[in-house]
Amino acid sequence: MKESASYRVFRVFNAILLLIVVAVTLFPLLNVVAKSFSDMKYIASNAVTFYPKGFNLKTYRLIMSDSMFWIDYKNTVVYTVVGTFINLFMTTIFAYALSVPRLMGRKFFTGLAVFTMFFNGGMIPNYLLVRNLGMRNTLWAVVVPGAISAFNLIVMRTFFEGLPRELEEAAAIDGMGTYGIVAHIVLPLSKPILATMTLFYAVGMWNTWFGPFLYLDRPEAFPVSLYLRNIIAGASQASGTDADALGEVASNVKAVTIVLTALPIICVYPFLQKYFVQGMTLGSVKG
Amino acid sequence: MSVIGRKVVVRKIAAACLAFAVIAVSAAGCSPSGKGEAVSSAQPASSEAASQGASSQADSAAPGEYDFKSEKPVTFSLMFSDNPGYPLKNDWKLWDAIKDATNVTLDVMVVPMASYNDKRSVLIASGDAPEIIPKTYPGQEVPFIPSGQILAVSDLADKMPNYSSEVKAWNLQSDVNTLLQKNGKYYVLPELHESFNVDYSLCVRTDILKKNSIAMPESWDDVYSVLKKLKELYPDVTPFSDRWQLGALLQIAGPGFCKTNTGLKTAGADWNSGSTFYYDKDQDQFVFYPTMEEYKTELSYFSKLVKEGLLDKESATQSDDQAKSKFENGKSFMITTNSQEMNDLRTKMDAILGEGKYEVAKTNIPAGPAGANLVGTRLENGIMLTKKAQEDPNFETLLKFVDWLWYSKEGETLAKWGIEGETYTVKDGKYTLNEGYTCPAYGLNPDAKDAKDLRKDLGFGCGVFILTAGGPNELAYSMMNDEEKAFIENVNKTRTLLPSAPTILYDEDQREAQNLLVQPVMDYVNQMSYKFILGQTDIDTGWDAYVQQCKTKGSEKYTETANSVYQESKKAQ
Amino acid sequence: METELRARKKEPRGTVRPFARGKTARRLLKDWQLYSLLILPVAYFILFKYGPMLGNVIAFRKYVPGGPWFGTQWVGLKYFKMFIFDGNFWMKFRNTVVIGASSLVFGFPLPIVLALLLNEVRSKAFKKTVQTISYLPHFLSVVIVAGMTIDLLSPSSGFVNVIVKALTGHTVAFMQESGYFVPVYVITGIWQETGWGTILYLAALTNINPELYEAAEIDGASRWQQTLHVTLPGILPTITILLILNTGAILNVGFEKVLLLYNPAIYDTADVISTYLYRIGMEMNSFSYATAIGLFDSVIGFLLIALANFFSKKFSETSLW
Repeated sequence: MKESASYRVFRVFNAILLLIVVAVTLFPLLNVVAKSFSDMKYIASNAVTFYPKGFNLKTYRLIMSDSMFWIDYKNTVVYTVVGTFINLFMTTIFAYALSVPRLMGRKFFTGLAVFTMFFNGGMIPNYLLVRNLGMRNTLWAVVVPGAISAFNLIVMRTFFEGLPRELEEAAAIDGMGTYGIVAHIVLPLSKPILATMTLFYAVGMWNTWFGPFLYLDRPEAFPVSLYLRNIIAGASQASGTDADALGEVASNVKAVTIVLTALPIICVYPFLQKYFVQGMTLGSVKG
Repeated sequence: MSVIGRKVVVRKIAAACLAFAVIAVSAAGCSPSGKGEAVSSAQPASSEAASQGASSQADSAAPGEYDFKSEKPVTFSLMFSDNPGYPLKNDWKLWDAIKDATNVTLDVMVVPMASYNDKRSVLIASGDAPEIIPKTYPGQEVPFIPSGQILAVSDLADKMPNYSSEVKAWNLQSDVNTLLQKNGKYYVLPELHESFNVDYSLCVRTDILKKNSIAMPESWDDVYSVLKKLKELYPDVTPFSDRWQLGALLQIAGPGFCKTNTGLKTAGADWNSGSTFYYDKDQDQFVFYPTMEEYKTELSYFSKLVKEGLLDKESATQSDDQAKSKFENGKSFMITTNSQEMNDLRTKMDAILGEGKYEVAKTNIPAGPAGANLVGTRLENGIMLTKKAQEDPNFETLLKFVDWLWYSKEGETLAKWGIEGETYTVKDGKYTLNEGYTCPAYGLNPDAKDAKDLRKDLGFGCGVFILTAGGPNELAYSMMNDEEKAFIENVNKTRTLLPSAPTILYDEDQREAQNLLVQPVMDYVNQMSYKFILGQTDIDTGWDAYVQQCKTKGSEKYTETANSVYQESKKAQ
Repeated sequence: METELRARKKEPRGTVRPFARGKTARRLLKDWQLYSLLILPVAYFILFKYGPMLGNVIAFRKYVPGGPWFGTQWVGLKYFKMFIFDGNFWMKFRNTVVIGASSLVFGFPLPIVLALLLNEVRSKAFKKTVQTISYLPHFLSVVIVAGMTIDLLSPSSGFVNVIVKALTGHTVAFMQESGYFVPVYVITGIWQETGWGTILYLAALTNINPELYEAAEIDGASRWQQTLHVTLPGILPTITILLILNTGAILNVGFEKVLLLYNPAIYDTADVISTYLYRIGMEMNSFSYATAIGLFDSVIGFLLIALANFFSKKFSETSLW
């Protein structure tokens, strides 16, 4: 592509700007990570900036030596995988259906979903529902109530609407039913949005703690987000005359929990990035 | 642009807020100090199994000395607040120890401590709550009363000999009466302190004081002069940098200035409508303290400290970590504290400043213009029993069990220390943790290697079942070090515990209306208190406008209603 | 025309059942695969979303914890009147709107800009790196972010005040002065969410037909003109939809973040509906009152989104419904 001089200048500025973005974003994070590896003494005297001082793994070891931590981590993985799958499946089929112009009651069904973005029942009715369905203390209580996010649904629908209709029409003429169209035409073209939604849902499910807290009673079933949240809450408690106040939580526990929870899910994105491919799949349509 | 969250009405627990709403802030100072109430060694005939309503036992044993063991094995359900510092383990020795002693197995429902209140609300609301719900602070049971889901424990006290005998022996009836509802009953079983235990106080760098021949402050005036002198000696340091966003400080100061708790509620805390008054005994009426002249004096005092650079302005907003860090690094010399924090403080300062290079101690509660007072109760967070318990065929056994575990010396000792001879030994009233066991949280055998942690590994000393400094004196002091003991005794000796205010017996609708009314008023009071202290609004010129605003917002109506309800309920009694 | 095209080519579905005589029923049958896709999702919504919604009825009834969950008696608009006539409530409402609207106005365009800038980067490695780093803050819990913010703004040790002092000679207690709360809230939100927000736009960018770029180049358009006439229109549906959705969410000012950042000294600008509800909930456990306020919020949010939708229908091709 020919580049004008002004464009080249722009590219330089762009690079600088992005580097600033990186710096502004990164430095506070480095501070957090550094703290997680630092000795309490340096943290208390505010001496830790961007790299660990008094490098040690004490708090990491403290947390990771608790078998419950690993049990809960496993739970999180299970919930995330199962949950994301359910999320993707339900959202995709609904979003596709809503994107088809000839669908009867299209506006009604869209409204049905959008309405729920604003109105919901609150803690107790939701709890009662889950309980009456016998889902308490099961995997389903964690993955089903949040199966479809109306927000994600609408965004996905928008993407489907943007796909070229000609392909679907051609397939329909050839006698392909909706199932076939979705499987063979729509999905292959939708890799970017599927990747995005996978990421959104996976991150959501990874970090979810409120549902598990409400519907699960046994710590062996908790996701690790709940486990860690409890630790952070314990670390920031003021004390009273009751014995609960005496937590021995380390001063860098917040930092450590951040690193431990965020790390795996952060690593997911680079894997999904390859689906954000520019127009390659679209190009194949023309032929 | 994250996913639009659902509009869930989330009620998260601000643990700090619990600490401030704590009823057990100040002690009832009139009780005998030290171990005056040493329990006699008389043991009642314990061969009988849990008797069914045999009230004759009430006369036959010393307070807290009633035994209990269930005839047959029974199971009761319990809500357990899980502390992340020592998460619940199914193989804790505690469970076996309880079973061996009483034949009771506990079916435990685990709830993370941070979300305990929320879950408790949901469970009670849906009828799924377990039979025994501990860790309920007096006041928290109130919203659940109308539903009929929790039991009026006042009716059951006669079946709980340990509890009733201790209330009687430790003179706690008037405190317990503060829990009464309009129908003359109360719904939460408070945990009891034989002696009052003051918690929050000021902590100061005694080595610096000694170096400069400055005496420990005994009054707020003293505090002022001490700080002033420190400022002269160290002009670059703001000597007092506070934590808990000044909330604890005003709580400590309240009794000395206003004869009532004037603790500022920190961000996220709620207003317990009961804590907005000063009860004037002579006039037998409630006065809204934020508009009292005495409160103005209190705020003026702190405003002066700020103006003269003695109290760090940032105290109002800085995080606890920041405040502590300043003190630990020697960048400030005074901070509010409580007994638990002292351990932590010392550990950090040993590392930062070096052992022996500093010295810290708690000051006495400073006396103020209104006297050398303390405010508070000897009641602690307690236990609710639910309808499910009543429907349990072994209900009477359940009552005796609760009575034994939380109110008998034997039960409390077991929960706190474990098994005699195995985990601890007691001689002449002195308790020692045995070798091979450690509990750094309480400062017991902190340096022991390869030792089992009393709490983490065995489950003893667990906050759901014990109080760090409650119960009978002997037990309360058992885990304290000498400094702590001396501090408490000194406070109780030199300070007067003001009698608790009577309760205002609202009915549901009145209570709801009052709560709604007081909220915006106290928000305003809170905000203006900060503004006055920080000097953003001049207190002398702005006070009248402030009082006027309080009235406009409804403070007078609120106070009138409170007083009229109080008078009415007095007539009814 | 389309419909007929498809209708002709659909396989006949066995015997025509009696009830399939009507036009609608016939369409349903012929397109059964399409409509079958609706079954599970709609069932989900009805059961898990609309079911509990019936619980909102307690805004109009007196509810008692532990009692019947739909309340014990009708109290009409009592709870609504309670907050509508409460002057303090409107102050909090105003704060919520100011914070929410500011977040939208300042926070919405930035992910778009960043996405476009990233799009111009040729080096894949650089692009990937910047992207990954930029969305890291999203993963930080709000507790950490609030803590970091307070530390950064501290008059005694905060980095920001170091600069301010160097420039002006004195420090500013940002967290204690009402006027700063909204900017602090908005800026921290931008820091935390901009990078994450680019993901959707980047995905949208891949959907733009590269031939359009080629054609524009052939026509002699500069990169900037291409951006204006190809890129932006290409992601316009995404932008529009997100704008509508976010408008509806203005009142959803996150309670946890405000709770962690505010303090009584700045209640007059910092206290929002959700924090107010939280304080009421802690004290009163008055579910009815809280639900009434929640309902009110929801209605406003819904109206906002309807409004946004209306405008988007007028001015663009994309709309929510």
